Amino acid sequence: MNKMFILLTAILICAINPAFSIQVPYDELVETTLMDKQIEKPYEHIGYNYRNNIKIPVKISITEKIKSEADIYEGQSVCFAVQEKVSYKGKTKFKKGDIINARVGTIITSGMNGIPASIIFENFEKAGIEPGQISNNVEVFGQDRTYFVFPLKWALTFLPPTGSLTNFIKGGHAKISPNKVLTIYYYPEWL
Amino acid sequence: MLKRIAKFIFTATIILFPLCCSAADENFREEDLKRENVIQTKISNTGVSILNSNKIDERISFAYDKTEAKEKLKLDKALLTRQIIIYGYDYKFIEDDNELAAMLSRRIAEGYRSYSGAFNGRLSSLKMKAAPKKYQLVFDKIAVDYMVRAGYNPIAMITFINKSCPQKRNDTISHENLTSKRLAEIYEYIYTKYPYYLKNNDYFNNVHYQNFLLTSAENRKLLQNKIKSGSKEKLKYE
Repeated sequence: MNKMFILLTAILICAINPAFSIQVPYDELVETTLMDKQIEKPYEHIGYNYRNNIKIPVKISITEKIKSEADIYEGQSVCFAVQEKVSYKGKTKFKKGDIINARVGTIITSGMNGIPASIIFENFEKAGIEPGQISNNVEVFGQDRTYFVFPLKWALTFLPPTGSLTNFIKGGHAKISPNKVLTIYYYPEWL
Repeated sequence: MLKRIAKFIFTATIILFPLCCSAADENFREEDLKRENVIQTKISNTGVSILNSNKIDERISFAYDKTEAKEKLKLDKALLTRQIIIYGYDYKFIEDDNELAAMLSRRIAEGYRSYSGAFNGRLSSLKMKAAPKKYQLVFDKIAVDYMVRAGYNPIAMITFINKSCPQKRNDTISHENLTSKRLAEIYEYIYTKYPYYLKNNDYFNNVHYQNFLLTSAENRKLLQNKIKSGSKEKLKYE
């Protein structure tokens, strides 16, 4: 009986003592910031049906001005206002002034050779509209200087290294104001 | 008599040996073709399901090439003819459907971008070629979005890149980012946009994911400090 008791105690000590336990892999960032949060599974567009491809343009504009891609961050929420009423089969789907919530998806910074910065807006959400029925994203570009940088670079190829100096011309910043109208599409027959 | 038998055996061997060899060779080639067909079907089905789920309304095709790796001077067909070629060298690293989706999503992001823009997409392709380092990170992120929408686990992007991409000494004058930097950017992107997959991490006990955790401790510490401080600044990962 005593032997049994000693054995059980030894097993218990081994199980409790961290020195005896198996090293469990650990991601501190996830453990400390995500584990106590309720997080829903992201939307998956798997049940698609592309039999009817009717698409209706929806004109939208941002509610708050973005001066540059440097002023925002990926994942930031943004709002767009509908500019024109959109109807389908006699029913109003988007009223003028309706707010569409969206998110800054990916930010592409401006680069050498006149490559412009751009902002990809995505996750357009409106009550009554399925996520699969609306455009995935819309991209806003800064001033594209590649139109003159690339020809200039090639023209200067005969005078090395002047052609390479065009590398230092950077593209424009991506900015968007409430006056700029963007177009996304509504696909009423899609799932 | 013996001489005649020996002569007969000798002649028969000369005639039959190449025939037997060619039959064996044909059998081997047929087996090889069948194996390639299985891989091709898997690549095409996964690729097209990503296109459909992401409402990609432009044509992109997929091909498997068992050649070891892409030749350096060969042109990239993803930008020119919108055909994504998966080489044997890359395919070797794929362990499951999620990793295959990770590899294809990256290439789809490149191919799809080459459709838009001036001169029938030629200018976009030129930009991608002129700034490969910048677009490498962009396509990693877009690929994560594609994977999630198509129902694949984006953590597979981390495991796939971790095992298949080498780590350079530095990326200051390189046309590619450091793999550790790419992985950190992908991790941050998933953390920000799709934390569900980190909380319910199916790859947590995967050896490659564990290796990523082991080798990315400093970069993840940077992210942790950023989150704690509430900063929105872009981190400089190493």
